[in-house]
Amino acid sequence: MSRGFGWTEFLFVLGGLRWTILLSLAAMGGGSVLGLLVAILRTAPIRSLRWVARAFIEVLQGTPVLMQLFLTYYGLAVVLDLRIDPWPAVVLAMTLNAAAFLGEIWRGSIEAIPRTQWEAAQSLALRYPQQLMLVILPQALRISVPATVGFLVQLIKSTAIASLIGFVELTRAGQLMTSVTFEPMTIYPVVAMLYFIICWPLSLASAMLERKMGRTSRGT
Amino acid sequence: MHYVFQFGVVYDNLPLLLHGALLTIRLSALAMLFGAVVGVFGAAVSTSGPRWARAIVRAYVEVIRNTPFLVQLFIIYFSLPAIGLRFRADQAALLGMTINLGAYATEIIRGGIEAIPRGQIEAGRALGLRRWHIFRFIVLVPALRVVYPALVSQFILLMLGSSVISSISAEDLTAVTNTLQSTTFRSFEFYFAATAIYFVMALGFRLVLDGLGWLLFQRRTAA
Amino acid sequence: MKKLMIAALALLFCIGAVQAQTLDRILKDKKIRVAVEVDSPPFGVLDSAGEPDGLEIAAVRQLAKDLGVTLEMVQVTAPARIPAVLAGRADVAIASLSMTLDRAKTVAFANPHGALTIVIAAPAGTKIASAADLSGKRIGLTRGTLEEATVPKIAPKDCEIVFFDDISVTIQALVSGQVDGAGMSGFAAKAIADKNPAKQLESKFTVTTAFYAAVVRPGDWDLLHWINTWVFLHKRDGFLAGIYEKYTGLKLPDLPTM
Repeated sequence: MSRGFGWTEFLFVLGGLRWTILLSLAAMGGGSVLGLLVAILRTAPIRSLRWVARAFIEVLQGTPVLMQLFLTYYGLAVVLDLRIDPWPAVVLAMTLNAAAFLGEIWRGSIEAIPRTQWEAAQSLALRYPQQLMLVILPQALRISVPATVGFLVQLIKSTAIASLIGFVELTRAGQLMTSVTFEPMTIYPVVAMLYFIICWPLSLASAMLERKMGRTSRGT
Repeated sequence: MHYVFQFGVVYDNLPLLLHGALLTIRLSALAMLFGAVVGVFGAAVSTSGPRWARAIVRAYVEVIRNTPFLVQLFIIYFSLPAIGLRFRADQAALLGMTINLGAYATEIIRGGIEAIPRGQIEAGRALGLRRWHIFRFIVLVPALRVVYPALVSQFILLMLGSSVISSISAEDLTAVTNTLQSTTFRSFEFYFAATAIYFVMALGFRLVLDGLGWLLFQRRTAA
Repeated sequence: MKKLMIAALALLFCIGAVQAQTLDRILKDKKIRVAVEVDSPPFGVLDSAGEPDGLEIAAVRQLAKDLGVTLEMVQVTAPARIPAVLAGRADVAIASLSMTLDRAKTVAFANPHGALTIVIAAPAGTKIASAADLSGKRIGLTRGTLEEATVPKIAPKDCEIVFFDDISVTIQALVSGQVDGAGMSGFAAKAIADKNPAKQLESKFTVTTAFYAAVVRPGDWDLLHWINTWVFLHKRDGFLAGIYEKYTGLKLPDLPTM
């Protein structure tokens, strides 16, 4: 009585998809807040702040996400004697990772804003934080939208590694169903297709936004 | 905090860890090479190939770039045997990494090729250069020179992303670390050490690849 | 500023400090967290509704009921069973953890409440009658399990052993033919064979037998004592024998106490 890949199995896989989306949203949300801070520090006029942000970015971009996840989930709890539930641990690891990548993207955007904008803001008697908040950041974030959306796609894909610590998101749901139905040939392509359905529209949007922005900003 | 760090265990097993690192380096280097080749080929097809071939390459790139690497590995290792294609774990890992990198490389190099001004190509034709020479010297090499940094970044990402191949039992630094920490229960120490080794490898690859880029593209051999 | 940060951290991560009087805390909070497997037939699986079920799951539900607290099941993969308890993510692990001296160095075992065998499972066509026949074959094992600790010791030098991170992946490897055979509990082999007669999987030979028990952090004497009492009483009233037979079809062997 082998359980074939039927409707109940597909529903279970969809349940995993729900967690993938939740995890992506949580990490993107947390990562955006922290990433903005990182980008601001990275472009600050004070050298030590720039250095701290840079170290953060380099370490998190220069090490595997999987290791960051393992360290958070397996290691940190033992060391700090804390009881960290699986969900917060995964969200924490992915948030920190997202913060590093978004921080780097937004740093590039901030640095792409011409000096004249800074000078104009200064001539309006605005202090540095105000210059940043009122003049520079709105423009920087606007031009960073294609890259940010592009990163969201990477984030959604990278949530798949949460399966390796047993967190039941989409990939692990597929794994569990495969070990019960013995049909890896049908299940994994279905899982891939579900990721594709979520990610492809975002990728297309990112590309389209990039083209549109290229057209408008080239006018100057 | 009453956790006692025992890095001595890590130190004792350093040879094993370094062996794992070597496996990662070798696999990544091979995948970078093959992936780059796939990328050049794919970029060439998608810029100047027939319509049907361009569609195939486009589909390949979009599918790979919008699905997780881990799932791609699972399909290669667990799903393909059902249609008779059974790869060993290390073969599946290399294949998966090559296919994955190839898609990104195709897109990156294509972007570089499309940025070559048409005037250059027309100048080449006016000089009577053959199509292959035009592609190689006027289009490809300048394109590679421009996108090389982006390509290097993608290579490094691939090397770091290779850490998931342990889930299909392929041997690499992560696999070795997993085994060591599951038998000694020193999870923090071993994962910390492995993370540090990956960081060093990423730096190393960046240095080597940047140097390679300098050799290939920056050195002016003629006037 | 510092106080704000601490409050924010606490809010974000639901931090709870690990306390020595675990049983007291469980009874006070009216909640027990148990690390379980859901990818290891017949000990822990997900039924068609996606709910955990199985031999160990049944024991876990009874334990929580007897304690009079709500149950929170922390689903883990095989290598994460013990780390989950050590890290405080669970108060106890009841996930077919066989008693070994190596594990006893880092965790505390209660008295055993079941027994299992470790076998090499392979398709019917593959000839493996004893450890010697493993020569030249590829055998899959799951990390952090008894088979990982025992099979490599008896395998011949030219037997290639591959490690997977959890049981469901090892099973997939066996079913998709990526390994010639796999080490697993005898029950798991039987469960898989029953569910999938087409593949004709069978247990080839027994590697070792073991008793499995609940696992707690070293120092949680109060909880350990309670679990031992629980095992003792349920041995006598037949509960343990009942669920064992229900999920394995076999009679529960004599369970000694330490």
